[in-house]
Amino acid sequence: MIWRDLRTAGVLGINARNSSYTLKWNNRSLYPRVDDKLLTKELCVAAGIPIPRLLAVARIHFELRELRGILETLDSFVLKPAHGAMGNGIVVIQARETGPGERGDRWVRSGGRTLGVEDLLYHAAGIISGLYAIAGQPDVAMVEERLELHHALRKVSFEGVPDCRVIVFRGIPVMSMIRLPTHRSGGRANLHQGAIGAGVDLASGRTTHAVLKSGSVRRHPDTDEKVVGFLIPQFDEVLETAVRATDTTELGYVGADIVLDERYGPVVLELNARPGLAIQAANRAGLQPRLDAVMEAWRPGLDVTERVALGRAITLAHPPRGLQS
Amino acid sequence: MTRPAAVTGGVLLGLGLAVFLWKAVGLGMPVLPTDPLGLWQVEVEINARGSGGRGSVRAALPSSDLSQTIFAERSVSDGLVFSIRSERGQRTGIWSGALKRTHQLLYAFRVQLSQSTVPLPRGAGRTVPPKLRAEYGGATAEFPTTATEIVERLNWLGLSPPEQAAARLAAVYSFVTDEVATEPNAGDDVLLTLAQREGSALGKARLLVTMLRAAGFPARLVSGLQLREGLAPQPKVWVEAWLDGAWVPMSPTDAFFATRRPDFLLLRQGGDALIEATGVEAELHRFHALRERLRPEELATLMIPTNPLLAELSLYRLPVPTQGALRVLLVLPLGVLVTALYRNVIGIQTFGTFLPVLLALALRGTTLMRGLAMIAFVLALGVVGRLALERLRLLLVPRLSILLCVVVLTVTGLALTGRGLVERDLYAGVLFPMVILTGLIERFSISLAEEGLREALMKSLNSILIAVTVYPLFTSELLQHVMFTYPELVISVMGALVWIGGYTGYRISDLRRFRTFAGASGGAR
Repeated sequence: MIWRDLRTAGVLGINARNSSYTLKWNNRSLYPRVDDKLLTKELCVAAGIPIPRLLAVARIHFELRELRGILETLDSFVLKPAHGAMGNGIVVIQARETGPGERGDRWVRSGGRTLGVEDLLYHAAGIISGLYAIAGQPDVAMVEERLELHHALRKVSFEGVPDCRVIVFRGIPVMSMIRLPTHRSGGRANLHQGAIGAGVDLASGRTTHAVLKSGSVRRHPDTDEKVVGFLIPQFDEVLETAVRATDTTELGYVGADIVLDERYGPVVLELNARPGLAIQAANRAGLQPRLDAVMEAWRPGLDVTERVALGRAITLAHPPRGLQS
Repeated sequence: MTRPAAVTGGVLLGLGLAVFLWKAVGLGMPVLPTDPLGLWQVEVEINARGSGGRGSVRAALPSSDLSQTIFAERSVSDGLVFSIRSERGQRTGIWSGALKRTHQLLYAFRVQLSQSTVPLPRGAGRTVPPKLRAEYGGATAEFPTTATEIVERLNWLGLSPPEQAAARLAAVYSFVTDEVATEPNAGDDVLLTLAQREGSALGKARLLVTMLRAAGFPARLVSGLQLREGLAPQPKVWVEAWLDGAWVPMSPTDAFFATRRPDFLLLRQGGDALIEATGVEAELHRFHALRERLRPEELATLMIPTNPLLAELSLYRLPVPTQGALRVLLVLPLGVLVTALYRNVIGIQTFGTFLPVLLALALRGTTLMRGLAMIAFVLALGVVGRLALERLRLLLVPRLSILLCVVVLTVTGLALTGRGLVERDLYAGVLFPMVILTGLIERFSISLAEEGLREALMKSLNSILIAVTVYPLFTSELLQHVMFTYPELVISVMGALVWIGGYTGYRISDLRRFRTFAGASGGAR
């Protein structure tokens, strides 16, 4: 029953993704380019692709002293592990706590909790110990510039910055969704933590359908704003940035996370060599037919614009199913 | 699934099954255990060290009698000369020669134990032959039959007249069994045992022999092993009294009279050590026993198959401890197969790939409920420990190490209270589960920090669920027997794993996750 429904809709399962896409198209030796966020940053900077500025790095516990000095000078920033997975271990600092004095000793984290410098250094020490690393290996704590919420997305996000996930297969974008943080997700843009995933039509840049946990939603639970049918600003550039960032990795099957920043426009947040499959539920569309279409239409030597156009054409040929809502 | 994967899987699966069928059907080897009662494989392993001088090691060897049948004996002499000497019905195996190094000696046999009762006469029974009386009836330093205490005690007992020999015998036996306490640390001197009404197993046995001789029955100590399933054999000493032409077995500590307990193996007449060495610098011996699952004639087809290659490969010829370990090891692939099904076909998230299987293996060392209680305790410790240590702001590794220390202290506490975990040997009962639980506590703590309590508990529950479903495989006598007899089935398991690895269809978890797509194929609807 449901088995056949999924087949017909072309939904990609975990086993099929692993064996036919990540195992086949993503060379294991290239994984560090996406798993190590410092390396990703380096590659993007070299290729002139916008990515948040690196402010500080602590590789060993001793360097935390130095980190303390740098943090003292900052008002807003993001502290995160270089090898984190699924958004774990990321602390977003919005601003200094504004107290009776001029500049407070504590910072306000997205979500409202306040933190002191000791809290931050303890967290950084946890990161260095490998608490949040994919394989538990010793990690690097990095501090980078905090991105600013684009004004057009202000009403559909809560306590955090949304990002656009674009699946890029062999350099061609095939599916996209925007992930909208909610109160439940604690301002994070991860679907399994309770963020909204809204499928974005590659051709029009409009959201077509949205899910929260496993059910469909039409309005943001915190802002009550409609999350279906709104237009993502600068969506052409979002797709191009995703494709160009993916090109630097030489990986065949990548999920690129692009944030729309108020000041810089589309910025690469991170890249993922094992992108999740929930994007299919958000779009109400299966990946399989689009991936098959890429296999057929792929030609060497296409430039970025041509590939984005090809991706859009493929999406139009394989639209979401049963979108009566 | 790709064609090569499908074919490889099929070939492996078929290969294992083909060898299995050839052996089972073609050669008529038994598939299922017939579980005969009281059939054991016993091994004496002796390490003797010397530096060039001549020496010898003597081991008491069993003989067949009413209660035991010995067969399939073999020995390893490792550079020494092995001979068997028979003296008044007692067989002794002697390894002798120049000991230049550590020699690893071995004597192994199979034994069929059976229960047989020595009939007791109604009257006085046959008169005791003078030769027997001289040998087993007299007073010695070990058996002071003429001591006043012994004589007085017998008078006090008010024994039946010699015409009622059986009642007389039983009365002496009852006194030593019921009126003298068994205390492992007490002495083994006869008069001291009698005076204190408390003695070791040897002390009570000597007292019984002494009193029996004083009462007119030729009597002697005998020694051997108590064979126990899953545990090392236990050396035992008991008593035989001559009555009406037969030796009547009895034990004042293990409570049998006229019928030897069906798990006792008789090795030696007299209370001397089972293994003795002279001219040897150091001697170390161990007994191993494994209960057989097949009848002797079925065993023969496995131990001496007609096919020379199979004979060479037969696992039944390995040393007993190795066989015991392999019986567990060969079931492991089945557990892994189940785990692979759970993860890749059903799509259940667990801690690590093999942690659930290792958990099941750890549970094997104890009972299921006790093991689960221990796991629950460790997880609770993980939560509490995290809450308690959070404030101290410790780094990850020391924090986990502290939790481990608490686990160690707890196990120590359990050992002190004498309950549960330490009944079996330390390795199987405590150390191995400790290693596994350490892995669990680490994964759990990290998951707790990263993904929160809900997710961490979910993964723990899944891991435990798999462990509990795999556990019966590891404790199943049937599966252990089949896999041990037909180890080629592991190749079939590998084939099945190739198939699972090549399975690109949906996992059950995918179906759940994308259930919103249900009805999508209806099209027109």
